[in-house]
Amino acid sequence: MLQLHRNSLVVAIMALPVFFLLYSTLGVPKPLVAWKWMDIVCEGGTAVMAGIWFLFTLSSRPRGLVTRLLAGGLCAIMLGSWADCLDEFFAVDKRDLWDNWLEALIPFGMLLVTVGMYYWRHEQFRLNEHLQKRERLFRDHRAFDRITQLADASYLRTQIRLEQERRPGLDCALVLLDIDRFHLINREHGHAEGDRVLQAVGHMLLLNLRNDDLLCRYAGDRFAVLMPGVSREAALPVARHLCQMVGQMRYFARDKEIALSLRHACSMTDGVPEVVLAELSRAVETPPRAAAGTATVAAA
Amino acid sequence: MFLHASLPSIAARHQPALVLDYARSRDVSDTALLRGTGLDAAWQAAGARLSASQYLQLLANAARSVDACDTSFMLGQQLLPGRDGAVSHALLQAPSLRQALAILCSWHTRLCPLLQPRLRESGTMQVLYWTDAYGAPSQLPFLVEMHMTALVAMCRWLSGEHLPWRFCFNRARPRHVEQHEVHLGPSLRFDCQLDAMLIDTAWLDRPWPRGNAHACALALRETAQEPSIAPSLSSCLYDFLLQHIRCPPTLERTALHFGVSPATFKRHLARHGTHFQAELDQVRAHQAIYLFQAHGFDNDAVADYLGFHDATNFRRSFKRWTGQTPQLLRHALALFVAA
Repeated sequence: MLQLHRNSLVVAIMALPVFFLLYSTLGVPKPLVAWKWMDIVCEGGTAVMAGIWFLFTLSSRPRGLVTRLLAGGLCAIMLGSWADCLDEFFAVDKRDLWDNWLEALIPFGMLLVTVGMYYWRHEQFRLNEHLQKRERLFRDHRAFDRITQLADASYLRTQIRLEQERRPGLDCALVLLDIDRFHLINREHGHAEGDRVLQAVGHMLLLNLRNDDLLCRYAGDRFAVLMPGVSREAALPVARHLCQMVGQMRYFARDKEIALSLRHACSMTDGVPEVVLAELSRAVETPPRAAAGTATVAAA
Repeated sequence: MFLHASLPSIAARHQPALVLDYARSRDVSDTALLRGTGLDAAWQAAGARLSASQYLQLLANAARSVDACDTSFMLGQQLLPGRDGAVSHALLQAPSLRQALAILCSWHTRLCPLLQPRLRESGTMQVLYWTDAYGAPSQLPFLVEMHMTALVAMCRWLSGEHLPWRFCFNRARPRHVEQHEVHLGPSLRFDCQLDAMLIDTAWLDRPWPRGNAHACALALRETAQEPSIAPSLSSCLYDFLLQHIRCPPTLERTALHFGVSPATFKRHLARHGTHFQAELDQVRAHQAIYLFQAHGFDNDAVADYLGFHDATNFRRSFKRWTGQTPQLLRHALALFVAA
């Protein structure tokens, strides 16, 4: 990410010695006894911290308005504090306004960061909408699977517990979906193709869920959907619909089409999450009945 | 007679290459993967071989760098039948589970050099358990997950159906148990004394659709003519101790059998991260469990078989080996097998 912002970085780093040169040529060095150590540590420390925040911001964000505002503001705070700190080493005539202007970078930077935060808040609302079916009201960036960008099983268990605590007694359905013959796709087309199948199925499932639902990658080729406020009777048609949607999807591996289908199993989340999930896992694994094809429904 | 962990024996082009491919697909750099292995850029040259310790280090690096709980399972899926010439070909053509397991057990130094599979019949059950070949206790859970997945995935592919394996693990229940459920199966039991896979004997002789007994026999004949790879010290010692388990040999006698002085023998074992008594205790514990399970022996009979003075002595020792009394363990075993 840092490479994206190379120009901004170069300018910011160049400004530091330029400021130093400015003070050392136009100002008069103060004697050591006149140095106020407390001020030096505070102002220098602010400059260092603002510099670190500046780097963190640039290294974690793509280019754009919010990034410009946040990074620009933090950079201004860093340079303003640096000027303030140099002021402690060099005496500058108080009638020279340039010194005051440089120090005014601090409030200016704060203003920029504030505006940046305002837009960042908007950006977050948009992202939350986008992530809603993937995370549901609780954020833990470590719980996301890198292939599908979906939450993992431990996140799912946490969510089930949260749901039980927040709204005890309310129906909450849980569906497990398993891709048929996924191991053959891996054997015949390789793992990279298997990963792409997982991504495609993940996208298709996300498109067919309510905003309140949570989709997780349970493990391997098994997905889990948590549906708060949905009864078992209502969950079954939803699960069947999800299987149909994936069944109708046309997926191509290089030049060959791969037919995808899903099996499913439903239950309610009343009980210890680990036990409910283990039982459901067992149910989704039983081979599909000859007539039903993909619909294996388990009563937990 | 036996192979040191530091001698090159594992073809770089086969299993280690799979690890490299997988790590690359997960955005791990080659430098991170090869750190500490002492391998240079040409390590994948034709005919190049890795030592067991290098392969173990490679796996440890992959596990740490990929940092996901399914690494062992994903690696395992590709491990068998492998691409190791005639022996992989024989496995691919195996006409039944019985034949496949027989090939795996007799050519384990090529097919699964790090863990040795051992098959024993126990009543109407077949028990396949894995023992550590090169002393990597910290990596054992990872290796066990990887090798069990390898066998399950291969059998599923070649037999065309999901075989009803049951799994025992010599470890506490992990947090990522969902990976075991999906990649292995729903019948899992943790806190056991063995890393074992159980299956009903009836499944052994079901014909496999891809099998070809004739081609398999031909490939095996070809395999037999290739230079063989010696098993590791731990594997040899396990076999020796199991053979003489009724009157357990001393360290001195064992060293004599292996043609080295007791001091040298101790040093070899230390290099494998173990010592004589620990190995002996492990073999005796495994044998006791086998006798309980397969022959329905009681404490007295097992004590007598293993050369203990009385059942009380045996009970005390068994508790020391396993942390459980024989009674509790037998009860738990019976429950799991009946389930």
